[in-house]
Amino acid sequence: MPPAAETFAPGISVEIGKIDRELKKLWAEGGGAKTRASLINLAVYSEAPGSLPINTRIISEITEAHACRAIVIGANPAAKKNRVEAWINVHCHVSRAGSKQVCSEQLSFLLEGPSARLLPNIVFSQLDSDLPLVLWWQEEFSDPMDPQLWAWVDRVIYDSQGWRDFRAQMERVETAQAEAKQRIVLCDLNWTRLVQIRLAVAQFFDHPSMQTYFDEIESVEIEFAPGFRSTALLLAGWLAAQLRWSDGRQKGKSELGFRGQEGKKIKITLSEKAGEPIGSCVVRCGSVEFKVTHAPNADLLEVAAGDRKCRMPAGQNDAVRLMNEELMRGGPHHVYLRAVNCVSEFL
Amino acid sequence: MSNTSDTPKTNPLREGLATRVVPQACSVVIFGATGDLTMRKLIPALYNLAADGELPPASAVIGFARRPKTDEEFRKEQGEATRKFSRQTVRDEIWSGFAEALFYHQSEFHDAAGYKSLAERLEKIDKERGTGGNRLFYLAVAPDQFEPILKNLKDAGLNQPREGGWARVIVEKPFGTDLTTARELNAVVRTAFAENQTYRIDHFLGKETAQNILVLRFANAIFEPIWNGRYVDHIQITAAETLGVEGRAGYYEGAGALRDMVQNHLLQLLCLVAMEPPTDLGPDSIRDEKVKIVRSLHRMSAEEITRNVVRGQYAEGAINGQTVPGYRSEKNVKPDSKTETFVALKVRVDDWRLADVPIYIRVGKRLPKSGTEISVHFKKAPAVLFNRESVSLDQNVLVIRIQPDEGISLRMQAKVPGTSFRIEPVKMDFHYGTSFGKASPEAYERLLLDAMSGDATLFARRDEVEEAWAFIDPIEEAWKAKEKQPGLFEYPAGSWGPEEADELLARDGRAWRRL
Repeated sequence: MPPAAETFAPGISVEIGKIDRELKKLWAEGGGAKTRASLINLAVYSEAPGSLPINTRIISEITEAHACRAIVIGANPAAKKNRVEAWINVHCHVSRAGSKQVCSEQLSFLLEGPSARLLPNIVFSQLDSDLPLVLWWQEEFSDPMDPQLWAWVDRVIYDSQGWRDFRAQMERVETAQAEAKQRIVLCDLNWTRLVQIRLAVAQFFDHPSMQTYFDEIESVEIEFAPGFRSTALLLAGWLAAQLRWSDGRQKGKSELGFRGQEGKKIKITLSEKAGEPIGSCVVRCGSVEFKVTHAPNADLLEVAAGDRKCRMPAGQNDAVRLMNEELMRGGPHHVYLRAVNCVSEFL
Repeated sequence: MSNTSDTPKTNPLREGLATRVVPQACSVVIFGATGDLTMRKLIPALYNLAADGELPPASAVIGFARRPKTDEEFRKEQGEATRKFSRQTVRDEIWSGFAEALFYHQSEFHDAAGYKSLAERLEKIDKERGTGGNRLFYLAVAPDQFEPILKNLKDAGLNQPREGGWARVIVEKPFGTDLTTARELNAVVRTAFAENQTYRIDHFLGKETAQNILVLRFANAIFEPIWNGRYVDHIQITAAETLGVEGRAGYYEGAGALRDMVQNHLLQLLCLVAMEPPTDLGPDSIRDEKVKIVRSLHRMSAEEITRNVVRGQYAEGAINGQTVPGYRSEKNVKPDSKTETFVALKVRVDDWRLADVPIYIRVGKRLPKSGTEISVHFKKAPAVLFNRESVSLDQNVLVIRIQPDEGISLRMQAKVPGTSFRIEPVKMDFHYGTSFGKASPEAYERLLLDAMSGDATLFARRDEVEEAWAFIDPIEEAWKAKEKQPGLFEYPAGSWGPEEADELLARDGRAWRRL
């Protein structure tokens, strides 16, 4: 995920034990001109150096569309010296009606050294009651996964694009999910990145008469940017899972093979090319070609079925847009898990 | 008139991508393409759907009207209007793609040749764009034009779905001016399109909060057990506007507030608030329940009408500190006009749930404030404990704000901090705009998409419309009666209507809610 260009200070420094009191003071200063809003608890965890100001800026933008209580944690468990610091902040935006300021609270924590283990305690003690907890985990998952924390999470958001070992990571996530007392929804931003491409491909086949082409698919070509092979594989996995292709095999780094429902061979070619995460996706059915291409220098997709061409909105590959899309869509992600299963061997 | 393709085969690639029925690409033919509705609402709505990626990209829009115009002129004109009226800023790169699928077809509505050439043009568009023979005809014209348009569509075979496709028609209100004309109109529509091809649009139902009434009632277990005559004292439905007739006098003089607002919009809201839970969310399950409510509305006798219906007309007054003329001084209004610009009614739903729960409806122009809302007033807590010696406590009131500032609020009692037991009403307030950053789509966006998807839930069915007229007609007749005609009361612009409207509630020991 590209780093944010601009960074923000995490707010007013406070003692952890006085967060509630300081927040009340902060609201009182507003003189009632601001409305506090919150639909979710959004906890963000990162171990990247300097993550707090970057995440503050991201939260500031996310709260324009998704009012929440944000709990932003910057951790450095490897630090030798113990350090715990906290800040409070509010992000205010003029409401759609334009008459008042709607504000979301952000609580930020810097945890260094052994205090990084305080994560569950910090999250639990700062939750806005009765609201769902969404945990955005910006790191790779490592053992042991804290069962206490996972038992409280409703949705966990991660980005598999940067994972070095997809299968090991997925295994950890699924184990934690299985051990949790409630059903956690797994949300992969690498999957969210595919929403607009998937919509563009799916729409070709909305008319019942077009669905006969499913049985005629011979090949699929996917172009992806360097670093986004896993994204391309998830796209291939989606087609295979939803169209019930089986017998997936990998032929070298750039080719996959499946068998269609009628036993027909289907070839998927993956090629790397600088540009958008998924530059294009072409589905060939005999002489007919269904093509989705990212338009150059525009957040639009060019979709073409044979000679017919039109444009659709394309998603954007930045943290704010991906998070907004993910939080807006909600729902379970059964299709994601099916897609992962189809290509997990190749990821 | 079969419409076999109305239930599309599910596209497996759509699983998890959409929580609604996905529309298929189609040709939208708008009759009355140079009119106000097309410019202000329909094309901006279609553009917004395209910009949000909701409009199937292969879709095409064909404007059908009398004035000579080229495709290019039509595109330019609509582009300018959309820039002015769209809820989103128009992006050139999206507009250019959208405009390529915008066509103009010039013809008189009664000219059969114009429909023959339309059919040829639609065939060509099907081939070029892949609209699969799907056609959505939008009648954005006065009702007197329905007959020639529908007859010609039928004669040209355009009412028949093409193989693998569908043909549907959207009809704009008013659906008649009384039961007889509504039946005639429905008969005219039926000559060309079957009921399951017909979508009668009521834009109130496309509003987010109107749809949320069902969610509030049936997705929250706490409300349904108390949503009945045992706990509900009465219900108020208000649609107030500060505007006058604003250039619509020609239409409004013949309609009045009762036909313009109550027969359609407000009775639809009443249905949503009074209906029983449907068996599922299918269009007919919901509409079956709604129609039961309209059928259960107590039909009033002439005496009851005099007692329970108040009509008014605004006189000169002031709105927002500005003097405004009275209705009879407005352009195109007869100086002795008897058209009502305000109506207040006390109605009764004769069903098990809400028997004995009066429902008060008021609608008016040139009122001090604009707003549409439903308020459910619950019975007071028993006169014991806190109630025993003090002045009686206020009722709990649940308010569903339809527009503006869509939301829901609940009034309850709370102790004022201090050593005494002073109790005051407080309000819990939910605002859509505060909680959800995402803007709601315009009602027309939602409804156009629903019609393309074959989902008629938010459209009025023939029997709903006719039953609503059967309720309204006796009131209109009483107002026109030669003897014992109920009065038409004047109210100054900027007031909350005639005093008689307040009296309607006051005699029941109640008062209109302050908006």
